[in-house]
Amino acid sequence: MEDEEDNIFSGSDDEEAMTAGEVLQKLEEAWMNEALSPELLMNKSDIIDCMMEQINEMENNIQRVKTNDLKIYIHKMELERIRYLLTSYLRIRIKKIEKYATAIMMEDGKRDPDDAKLTDSELQFAREREKNLLELFQNLVLQHMPPNMQSLEKDKICSKPNLDEYVFFRVNQDVEGVLVEEETVDNREEVIDLKKGEQHIMRYKIIRPLAETGAVSLI
Amino acid sequence: MDSAEIEFFAENEEVTIVPNFSKDKLFLIRGDVGPFNASMPVTVPVWLAVSLRQQQRCRIIPPPWMDVEKLTEKKEEETSTDIFTQMPCEYYMEVAQLLLNCASDDIPYAHKIRTLIKDIWDARMSKLRSSIQTFLTSDATHAKVERITI
Repeated sequence: MEDEEDNIFSGSDDEEAMTAGEVLQKLEEAWMNEALSPELLMNKSDIIDCMMEQINEMENNIQRVKTNDLKIYIHKMELERIRYLLTSYLRIRIKKIEKYATAIMMEDGKRDPDDAKLTDSELQFAREREKNLLELFQNLVLQHMPPNMQSLEKDKICSKPNLDEYVFFRVNQDVEGVLVEEETVDNREEVIDLKKGEQHIMRYKIIRPLAETGAVSLI
Repeated sequence: MDSAEIEFFAENEEVTIVPNFSKDKLFLIRGDVGPFNASMPVTVPVWLAVSLRQQQRCRIIPPPWMDVEKLTEKKEEETSTDIFTQMPCEYYMEVAQLLLNCASDDIPYAHKIRTLIKDIWDARMSKLRSSIQTFLTSDATHAKVERITI
């Protein structure tokens, strides 16, 4: 049993081999970023799938052992912790999708289907949500309105994430020349360098690309 | 993030325990733990330490910074300047709380430590409040916040 548990496996094809511990760490980081960023981030389905696989494998291993040992108890406890992490992460995403369904789908429509933020099942959820919402508006109010006022421009009424929100973040890689403000009070550009290990507070919009690449993590 | 989530991260910190049982090495997903030998100190994540302690299967050795003298010094340092000082552990507050709640018998002067940690926390919170206030009322668009813990 030990040998199977300890094996090192590879993630998706284009990724280097990672140990389970590293995948878990990635998942924790993704969870924290997702919880703290105002908008929906890229989906991490490869990490999720990888972790699910690990959990299932471990569960099978545990089931094969009959004794009610302390060891099994500890393994079970770790599984519970990881499962909490996974569900909490997915729940945060669902909440954001509920809130910004239309905005996210419009954004996804503009990019390559391969880099879509939503996974297939999330997309289905978002579509359903949008459809139900529009139906509700239609049945409740719009059909009782005069015909010239019945149309609804969904891109104008949908709620969008507030990208101007201030966030705390920690720098993971040196980044030089980050443009903080195009025009400050005295008509100068404000540019700063981020050094590894520093912590800053800034508007989310400015560090948005850095958060996607992992150069900074939100705290 | 709410406090439960931060506590979850804090539980990944490591702490030394003295188990009263023997077990081979455990291969957890996060990494290997053990081997456990009765009365030999071993380093484990906080969540495991807390759970073993609740079952009376180990004794927790408090981390070196969890010491009345060191914390008193730290408190002096923290209250004597306007800037934030370096904390001994990223999740000092949460780790202290977790360990003190389940194993206050294992930690000498647990009561004093609890008070000291709370004092340090309060001092830092009030600094944070006042500095954010200044930040918001000024026109600044970014600020560097060194040494702040979650």
